[in-house]
Amino acid sequence: MQQIKHWLLAAAVGLSLPVAATAGTADLVKEGEKIFTTKNLGNCLSCHAANGKKIDGPGSLGPKLTGLSVWPKKALYDKIYDPYTTNPISAMPPFGKNGWLDDHQIQALVAYLKTIH
Amino acid sequence: MNVIKITVAALLMASLASAASFNTQAEKDRKALIAYMEKKFSDPAKNKGSFFPYSTNEELSKRFTKGIKRDAFRLGSYAYDKGGKSQYDEVMEMPPFEDNIDAGKALYEKKFANGKTFKSCFPDPAIAGEYPKFDDKKGTVVTLTLAINECLKANGEKPWKMKKGKMADLEAYFASASTEAGKKVHIVIQSEAAAQAYEAGKKAYYSQRGYLKLSCATCHVQGTGKRVRNEYMSPLLGHTTHFPVYRLKWQGLGTLERRIEGCNKDEGEKPHKPGSPWMSNVLYFMAYMSNEMPVDGPAIRK
Ligand code: HEC
Ligand code: HEC
Repeated sequence: MQQIKHWLLAAAVGLSLPVAATAGTADLVKEGEKIFTTKNLGNCLSCHAANGKKIDGPGSLGPKLTGLSVWPKKALYDKIYDPYTTNPISAMPPFGKNGWLDDHQIQALVAYLKTIH
Repeated sequence: MNVIKITVAALLMASLASAASFNTQAEKDRKALIAYMEKKFSDPAKNKGSFFPYSTNEELSKRFTKGIKRDAFRLGSYAYDKGGKSQYDEVMEMPPFEDNIDAGKALYEKKFANGKTFKSCFPDPAIAGEYPKFDDKKGTVVTLTLAINECLKANGEKPWKMKKGKMADLEAYFASASTEAGKKVHIVIQSEAAAQAYEAGKKAYYSQRGYLKLSCATCHVQGTGKRVRNEYMSPLLGHTTHFPVYRLKWQGLGTLERRIEGCNKDEGEKPHKPGSPWMSNVLYFMAYMSNEMPVDGPAIRK
């Protein structure tokens, strides 16, 4: 039963997203990009380059981001929320756990990261 | 008689041994840091996997200098970044801090209201490498900045601000006099309390802080040679040899305390006050790591 509910929900989301949320998604991606490159928001570019994106002077404290389009959204969300869950000695800050970025901002970042191939 | 001699000798030996042992841990730390940095920069391109996983092959093989030894790390990122070094050399031909050194010398010789001068506290100006010291009577670390203010107070003068202005000028004169005299960094850990202050500073240096949860070491030990945006990060080794520093960003001179405040902000942390126990202990630890390296200040940084 649980399983079926899950599938139904997934199908509904899958169906409704492209129709209802195309404009919304584009906005969300844009917002995410802004958070990625803005000093007092994510400032992700201070440590990361991103494949296929034009970024002015990306840092090298973190890896060049590639292939994120195939990552599950949840994995991306978790990485930003608290990288220590998958890598306890990560040099990456826990942006969600420490309250610096809110849920919506992280969702926006995830949308942007999903455009990185 | 013989027994007494032996006892005295044994007592002497014991006190010698313990005096030396207060810095045992610090010496281990210092040697490990030198080994780490020298290994990391022995051949950056070859060491990519172990030390620079996210750097480009291009920068590691073309831009970076190989085989750097301890004393060269006092140049910060210019020790390994060829591009930065050539710009540095150019600016150093006409250093913008000459006037500051002259102003510092004048301050050193200027009479206080009571007729005395800084010479009454610091007979020799070539002392930049001797600080911070641990004061066993007070039980605290005394940085050069604090020692200067204590001298002012002891002579009935008002203490100075600790980040720039007169303080930076006088420290520039001390640094320049020490450099000319060929002095080396010489930090002493002479007691159990001093060793504890060192440990407190080390702990602060390696602790994650601020909302970004970064430590100084993230950027200046593991991070040395990596970039934040376009900026290469300098090593902890040699961080205190050359201050005060003239920063192009400041268009002026600043003390170590001023520089660290900037890094506190980068970590997303409320800056620690110059003169606070946090700052003094961190400076004591940092300076010890530079022990035996030549004093080389003032210097220039972006
Ligand atoms: C201070 C440096 C730093 C900052 C700032 C930073 N990161 Fe990271 N990031 C790292 C490091 C180091 C890693 C590799 C270790 C790890 O996976 O935890 C990493 C890994 C990642 C990964 C996994 C990449 C992979 O291929 O495994 C993603 C995704 C990521 N970061 C996204 C972000 C986003 C989005 C931001 C901004 C909100 C950000 N990072 C800010 C340092 C940083
Ligand atoms: C997010 C990375 C980061 C963190 C964390 C950080 N710094 Fe820095 N620091 C830098 C950068 C970038 C510079 C400028 C380039 C350079 O000289 O390394 C710098 C410069 C410095 C300098 C000047 C070096 C010189 O020769 O001019 C000192 C000293 C310093 N940092 C100390 C500290 C201390 C102490 C802490 C912790 C309280 C700290 N830093 C934390 C990135 C960082």
